[in-house]
Order: sequence, then C-alpha cells, then structure tokens
Amino acid sequence: MILELMIALTIGAGLFAVGLYGALSQTNLVMIIMGVELILAAALVNLVAFWRYLHPDEPAGQMFVLIIMAVMAVEMAVGFAIAISRFRSRGSVEMEEARELKG
Amino acid sequence: MTMLALTLLSPLLAGLALLALRRAPEMIALAGIGLGFVAALAQLAGIAGGETVQIILPGLPQMPLRLIATPLTAVFSILVATVAASVVLYAVGYMRGDAERPRFFGTLLLFVAAMQALVLAGDWITVLAAWELIGFASYLLIGFWHGRAGVASAATRAFVYTRSADLGLYVGIFVLIGWAGTSEISATLAISGTPALVAGLLLLIGAMGKSAQVPMQDWLQRAMAGPTPVSALLHSATLVAAGAILLIRAAPMLPGGALLAVGLVGGVTAVITGLIALGERDLKRLLAASTASQYGLMLVAIGAGAPIAALLHLIAHAAIKSALFLGAGVFQHDRNGTGLEILAGAGRARPGIFAGFAIAALALAGLPPMAAFFSKDAILAAALGSDAAPWLLPLALAGSVLTGAYMGRALNVLWAGAPGTATAPVPLLAAGMGVLVGLAAVLGFGFGALEEFLSVEVEKPGWIVPAMGLAVGLGGLALGWFVAPARLLGPLLAPSQNGFAIAGGMDALILRPSLAIAAACERLERALFDAVMAVGRINLSFGRAARSADTDAIDWAIFGFVRRTFALGDRARRLQSGFIHRELALTVIGIALIAAALLAAPLYS
Repeated sequence: MILELMIALTIGAGLFAVGLYGALSQTNLVMIIMGVELILAAALVNLVAFWRYLHPDEPAGQMFVLIIMAVMAVEMAVGFAIAISRFRSRGSVEMEEARELKG
Repeated sequence: MTMLALTLLSPLLAGLALLALRRAPEMIALAGIGLGFVAALAQLAGIAGGETVQIILPGLPQMPLRLIATPLTAVFSILVATVAASVVLYAVGYMRGDAERPRFFGTLLLFVAAMQALVLAGDWITVLAAWELIGFASYLLIGFWHGRAGVASAATRAFVYTRSADLGLYVGIFVLIGWAGTSEISATLAISGTPALVAGLLLLIGAMGKSAQVPMQDWLQRAMAGPTPVSALLHSATLVAAGAILLIRAAPMLPGGALLAVGLVGGVTAVITGLIALGERDLKRLLAASTASQYGLMLVAIGAGAPIAALLHLIAHAAIKSALFLGAGVFQHDRNGTGLEILAGAGRARPGIFAGFAIAALALAGLPPMAAFFSKDAILAAALGSDAAPWLLPLALAGSVLTGAYMGRALNVLWAGAPGTATAPVPLLAAGMGVLVGLAAVLGFGFGALEEFLSVEVEKPGWIVPAMGLAVGLGGLALGWFVAPARLLGPLLAPSQNGFAIAGGMDALILRPSLAIAAACERLERALFDAVMAVGRINLSFGRAARSADTDAIDWAIFGFVRRTFALGDRARRLQSGFIHRELALTVIGIALIAAALLAAPLYS
C-alpha cells in the first residue's frame, strides 16, 4: 500500500514539476494557464492518492477533489476569457508585451 | 369766571400767537398783557362782594384742576398783572432794535401766564405744573442772549438750583395730597401735626430755591445775565415771589416748628444777602442780592405768624424793586454796563430817572410815607410779637439796617460821580418806570383797604415799632451814603464779595459728592475695563495655544502619516514589474519559503 502511495505521489511530483516549468518558461498566456492546470492536477493526484490509500472511508476527500475540479473549470474559463479578450484587443497573447498590470 | 379765564388766557394766547406769527411783537404783547390786566382788575372788583369764583377742569382722576379767585389770589393776580404790564411797556422801549423781539415778548407773555396760573391755582397739581412752567420760562428768559459769554451757564445755574429745590416741593405736595386725600389746596390746609410739619419743611425747601434764600441765593445774582426787564419781572412779582407766595398760601397749615424754620431761614438770608449786597460792585447784582434779602424779611414775617405782613411787603417790594430795576436798566443803556464804577454819576445825567430811582430806594429803606414803611413796620411788629422774638427781631432789624445801607450806597454812587453827557430821552422806559415809582410811593395808603378786603387785621404797632423802623432805615441810609463799604464791612468785605462762599454749600452738598461719585465710577470703569481686557487676553492666549497645537501637533501627525503612507506605497510599487513570469516566480519562491518553514517545524518546535 505504501508502495502504491509512493508511486502516486511520484507521479504527482512529476506533474507538478512539469507544470511549474511550463508556467515559468512559457510566454504565451494559454501555455501559462496550461502549466497552472498541470500544477493543480498534480495537487489533485496527491489528494486522491492520500484519500485512496490512507482514508478510503472518508467521503470528504472525494468531495474536496470534486470541488477543486469545479473551481479549476471556472478558473480556466476566466483565464481563457481573459486570453481571448486580450487577443481581440491587442492581437497577441504574449505576456512579455503585457505590462499594463504594473502599478 | 370769564374774567378769571381771561386773566390767564389773554397773556397765554397772545404769547402763543406771537411765537407763531413772529410779527408785530409790541402790539400783540401790549394787547395781551393789557387785556390780562383789565381782566385781573375786573376779577378783583367782581369778588369784592365776598364770593369766590372757581373753575374746575378735568384733570387727574379724583383730582380735577382748579383755578380759584379768592380775595388773596385775586390780589396776587392783580399784582402780577400790574407789574407785568409796566414791565412790558418798559420792555417795548428797552428791546427796541433787538432782532429777536418776537421770541422775547412771546416767552415773557408765557411766563406771565404761567405765573397767573400759579397764583390762581386751586389745587396742588396746578401749582406744580405752573411752578414747572415758570421755571422753564425763566430759564428761557435769563438765557435770552444765549450767544453772550456766561449767559447760558447763568440760565442753566438758575434752572438747576431751582430745580434741585423743587424736589422738596414735589415731595411736600405728595405728602399733603397723600395725607389729605385730595389735591385741593384749601382742603389740604386743614391737616396738622407731624405731616404738616414734614410737608411744611419740604415746601420751605422748594420756596428757598425759588426765592433764593441762603444757601441757594447764588443763582439769583447770576440770573442778572438776562435782559433788565426780565430781571425786574423775575424779582418783583413772579419767579422769586413764587416761593414767598407758596408759603403765604400754605401759612395757615404750618405748625410752630415749621414756622420757626421759615423765620430763621428768612432772617439769616436777610442779613447775609444784605451783606453781600453791600459788598457788591455791580448795580444789578446789588439789586439781586437785595431781592433775596427782602424775601428773607418776608419769610421772617411768615415765620412770625403774620403772612399778611409778608403779603404787604411782597406787594410793596414788587413795585419798588421793579422800579429800581427799570431805573438801573436806563442807566445801563446810558453807560453800557452795570458796574458801580461805570455807573458813577449816571444819576446826575438823568435827574428824572434818578429821582424815581431815589424814591424807590428810599421806599425800600422804609422811609414814611412810602409803601415799604408800612409793610416793614408790620414785619417788625410781627417779629416783636412772636414767640421767637429774641431771634427774629434782631435779624429783621439787621436786615433793615443793611437795606438802608446798600440803598444809600447805590444812591451815593449814582449821584456822586461826573455826570457825563446826557442822552436822548426815553419816554417809554420812563412811563413804565413812572407807574411803578408812583405805586411804590403811594401803595402804603392802600394797605388799610387791602386788609379790609382780605378781611384780616394786622395788629397796629405802638410808637416803638415805627420808631425802630425809621431809626434803622435812616441809620442804614446814612451809613451807606457816608461810609465806604470797605470800612463798613471791615473783615467781612472779601467774604461778602465772594457771596460768603455759601454757594459752596451747594458745591459741598451736591457738586463734590457728584464729582466723587463720578471719580469712583471712573475707577470702577477702569477696573471693569482691565478685567475685560484680561479675560480677552486669556482667551487670546487660549486661541494661540489651540492654533499652535493644531498646526504643530495634529497637522504634523496627520500629514506625517499621510506622507509615510505615500512613501510606503511608492516602495510597494517598485516591487510591481507587470511581468507575469516574475510575479509567478515570486509566488513560487514565497510558497517554497513557506513550505520550507513548515518542513523545518520539527527542528524548532
């Protein structure tokens, strides 16, 4: 059981590393969002693994995962909406050019 | 009743008409005064039958205004009317050429009307009103030449002196009305005891002010600043007489104590103002002092219980003194002044006027058979017969000697100097004066009839009193004629020329306390001022402290906070680059730090 858990956590860590690299290295907004999604997916994998192997009789873990998935969907919708809106107004989603958020 | 109204109304209406129309002053004045004189004469004849005429007018509630013509008031009335008529006749000549004649005659007529109202008054309210009116009219008349130096102050002085004394009259009359419950004079005269004494003394104060008795004699001499006809009128039958008339009318009521006070005031005044007259260096002022002295003698008679003697002397004196003043006015016209040095010898230039003046002067000194001989004898007899004879008789005799002395001196001065040049005849002046001189000479023979008319009997003195009177009169005249006042008065000369500084009584009683009060008020005022200023200064310093606290502490704190907040915001902004990657990287670093801290927890917990 510990072994399976370790495998799942390793997969989660790998996913997280890929997502982090993507988020930090890409300049395209869509790609950054995808990186962030990967990071979140890594967290979900870990969560599911802990629930499945350590507390399988606790339904709260499943519910937590489902809520996070719903939030991810919403967040993605907002993120892509921003990307589309920016593409329409500026013709590009390159974040190196977007400095309007500077205070 | 018609005559009574006419006596009062004809001068009043003539005066008002004159002041309104301002033209033909002599005609209107003579008409008004003449009609009043005729009416007074008719009134006197009308009540000879013994009946009294009364007019009742609506006045205060339960206190109607009354005018009453009894034998006594009718005699006063005819006296006023006679003197006023002569004086107006004289004034027509005297005031010739003066631009303000309408004002002069108008005020004069109002004055006469007020005096008629006073003597004919049947109730105390009317007395008060008339008293006020004569005071006011005399103020206007004395101040007639108000443009000249000192005239306005003389008028004000006369007004203020008599007004101060009027306070006594007011309170006295209120005591009388309050005690008797009615304002009718004849009813109030029935009261007796303490209220009568109190009221009598208060009335005496009022009379002292108006009749210029010591210590309030000073204003009378200063009132000489007015035109001479005014002086003649004021001194003989009107203003100054008002005090004596008041006391004569109130005499039946006065108890022994009040009578003694009246007699002593009169006696002291007779002597002191006699001395002042002797030391005087101005003819009109001499005559003024003499007036006060003669009224002093009248008060002696009232005090001795013989108001009729006072009445006789009042009548005699009215004719004599107005004649003397009118004579003095003629000399004044000739020499442009009334100082005795200026007038020296003025009598020689006008023998006719001087003769009239001399007759009046001798009459005043009490030589037979002229008017004041009889009246002065009556006064001396009354003084001799009264309970207070030891005090009153010497004072009355001394007053009589002094009367002779100052008249003798005046005659001497007028006759002895160089005659100077004769000037144009003055028929009108002489006519007015002649009437009065004639009266002064012969009035005495009418006194018997007068006593009969008033149905009173003046006790006939034995030989001793006329002898005394004649002796003091002649002695006084001789002293005055032959002996210079400096030798006669000796050490009394300087004080008498200064009016014995008895006006100082007025100063000490009223002026100095007033000044002291004023000074105290000033000190209080300054203290209040300082206190107010101190409060103001304290408030100002509070304000200053508040302002500095506001700027230095509160603003400093608030603006400093604001500046720090701005600075902090600037610093925070420098962190913001706008690069998403950098933000993300910072986020990752932050999370890593948190994770490290959490993982390191077992190490430090």
